[in-house]
Amino acid sequence: MATPTVARCWRCQDEHRPQVFCPACEALQPLPPDIDYFTLFGLARHPRLDEQALAQTYYELSRQLHPDLHQTGTAQEREASLQNTALVNRAYRTLRDPVQRGRYWLALNGEPLGKENNKVPPALALFVFEVQEKLAAVREARPAETEGTQDALAGLRAEMTQVRDDLDDRMRDLQHRLAANFSKWGQADGSSALLSELKRVLSEMAYLRTLTRDVEKALSIL
Amino acid sequence: MEHIVGIDLGTTNSLIAYVDDAGPQVVADSGTGQKTLPSIVSFLPNERVVVGREAGELARTQPLSTIRSVKRFMGLGMGHISPADRKRYRFVDDQEDSASLVRFAIHDRQVTPPEVSAVILRALRERATAALQAEVRKVVITVPAYFNDSQRQATKDAGKLAGLEVIRLLNEPTAAALAYGLHTKEEGLIAVYDFGGGTFDVSILRLHTGIFEVLSTNGNTRLGGDDIDQCIAERFLLAELTEALRNDPQVLNNALRAAEKAKQVLSEQEETVLNLTLPEKGIQISRSLSRQEMEAAVEEIVARTLEPCRQALKDAGLETHDIEEVVLVGGSTRMPLVRQRVGEFFGRTPLTDIDPDEVVALGAAVQADTLSGRRRDMLLLDVVPLSLGIETMGGVMSHLIERNTTIPASVKEMFTTAVDDQTAVAVHVLQGERELVQDCRSLARFSIPIEPKPAGVPRVEVTFMIDANGILNVSATDLRTGRERSLEVKPSYGLTDEEVERLLEESIDFAEEDIEQRLLIEARTEADTVLHATDKALSQNASFLQEGEEEQIAQVVQKVREACAGEDYDLIRDLTEELSQVTTPFAQRIMDSSIQAALGEKQLSDL
Repeated sequence: MATPTVARCWRCQDEHRPQVFCPACEALQPLPPDIDYFTLFGLARHPRLDEQALAQTYYELSRQLHPDLHQTGTAQEREASLQNTALVNRAYRTLRDPVQRGRYWLALNGEPLGKENNKVPPALALFVFEVQEKLAAVREARPAETEGTQDALAGLRAEMTQVRDDLDDRMRDLQHRLAANFSKWGQADGSSALLSELKRVLSEMAYLRTLTRDVEKALSIL
Repeated sequence: MEHIVGIDLGTTNSLIAYVDDAGPQVVADSGTGQKTLPSIVSFLPNERVVVGREAGELARTQPLSTIRSVKRFMGLGMGHISPADRKRYRFVDDQEDSASLVRFAIHDRQVTPPEVSAVILRALRERATAALQAEVRKVVITVPAYFNDSQRQATKDAGKLAGLEVIRLLNEPTAAALAYGLHTKEEGLIAVYDFGGGTFDVSILRLHTGIFEVLSTNGNTRLGGDDIDQCIAERFLLAELTEALRNDPQVLNNALRAAEKAKQVLSEQEETVLNLTLPEKGIQISRSLSRQEMEAAVEEIVARTLEPCRQALKDAGLETHDIEEVVLVGGSTRMPLVRQRVGEFFGRTPLTDIDPDEVVALGAAVQADTLSGRRRDMLLLDVVPLSLGIETMGGVMSHLIERNTTIPASVKEMFTTAVDDQTAVAVHVLQGERELVQDCRSLARFSIPIEPKPAGVPRVEVTFMIDANGILNVSATDLRTGRERSLEVKPSYGLTDEEVERLLEESIDFAEEDIEQRLLIEARTEADTVLHATDKALSQNASFLQEGEEEQIAQVVQKVREACAGEDYDLIRDLTEELSQVTTPFAQRIMDSSIQAALGEKQLSDL
């Protein structure tokens, strides 16, 4: 994903580095649609970032670009404002969430997380098997239709709560591993090891997220 | 400068507001002084239409041709109509297509919900035109945050049918936050709990140096004060009647009004009397009802608002104790039970400083001010309330844009063909959170035209863009040729562009009546101004009157007043002109004397 280096103003034809307003005539510019998100936010291309600075920049960009503030502009400016804001919103949503940022980082490095992500990560196999069994037990108990078996349901609820706490612990652990991985990028040691570790962590997180959703659904009907 | 006004198109009441140097303010009706316009429209057999309180009176005797709470029907298909609604109105039932758009059958006409809403919008526009003494064309209209794409589109259509340019649809809780933000300049995390006549919304916002960032929103577009009225009417009035009477639209309508009135009284008092008297139907019910009894009956309805609150907090990644302020909006929040439950849920006393009926319209006016370019210190970052996706194989919905994504939001999706020489790819757009297509709302269908090529060769990129109104726009580009491909999007539960055009043409008759109406309003406003000035001059400067002059002026004043009670605007204008003329010498004398006085003072101060 290369970021273009030169843009031409739609109004005054000035050529400049891609930016929000033309340095010559101040007209709002359509941003290159394939600009990378880090560059868009004026950040170094690195997966570890300062989240507060990110939010601050997001607010500043919104104040410059948002369609509400260009309502009285020309059709071209209104369109540029709409497209740019949609792009900034998408970039912010991606960068502020470490998991999405990690996946984006992989794609940016030509190593998108592919279909392998749908398989159960080996490290989780046993745990996933146990949780699926418990989820099946909840489905069989048919809590919506059962009356008078409160004790059995209470037992299931306790087990499910335990599972959710387990999931939370594992998720926290993975978040630490993800942050640690992010901070190592750009250092001298082998980036292929970093790459495979990042893929592993993100796959596990994606899997646990789906599992957490199923467990919460089960808890809500118990 | 052209005025952009804000409109709260509510289930029960509608309001119009604008911002001037004194800040945002709601426009009152020049005749009655009322700020709220009841959202009731009555269609008379002679093709005339009545709106507001007068229509409310007609509802007692003509329940089937008088539409209340039309907002509940916006953007719906016949399949969404509840049995209770079927008892109250007559609909055009299309046997062949149960998914067709709701149409009321009134006299021998078919009327769609956007047309009914357009009548309300026109009446509001007249009000603003009279108050601003200027043409009003551009508007911001508020919608429940949880309105889906079809409901939003229907609201936009209503605006178009009323001859208005809807430059923004604004979410109601966000509008309320805007009004409060302006009021108190708060920073921090706030929850807006908006329980209106027909809809419930909750939004969680972060306020940050003039930026109103919506973190999450949730709600129920079919839950409101109407349900509370229905519950009270069924429990305490209709239960005593025979099946036939219970299903009689007139009985039902009167029972609902009695229930609504009792509910309102019980917000102030501990006890009231519930009356339902229809001698022609042999009904004479009068019973006492305590607040406690009513609360026990409606508790479950109020409780149903708390689950969306929980979900919104969860989506924002927050706990109740993170919320620093809770704002109450909507008429239903007048109920002590609602205030109590909301207070308990969030663990703090909710804010009610601004009239819950007016706060949304005031916020809409503030946003209109920003959109007109007059104000740049506030910015709303709102979200889409429901996930947007497309149907994939096996009847499964594939999400493209997740709920609570900040708008405008866009996503690109690549389409190709499955068989050789396929000339089109069908796309079905959905909105909702469930996995299966059948559990989501169908928004629209379109077909991408494709040049015949071997399977998998064509590559067409479709951009789904949710604009700042929360409305979906789609466009397609053929990646091989780089050409834009035009798409014909057919809304599942909406008027097509052609239908809107046709309805607009049909409403030209209406428009002519509207011009008459506007001329009348303008003439009356002008007369009022002159009458007021005359009264003031007579009471303050009577010493400048000459012999017989007072009687002469009084005669013309009387004639103007009589003309204003009628509808002949030419007569009102002529008489107003006459009044100006007879009072001119008198006014001249007053002016001369004040000039002399002013000169006198100046000379004194010069010394």
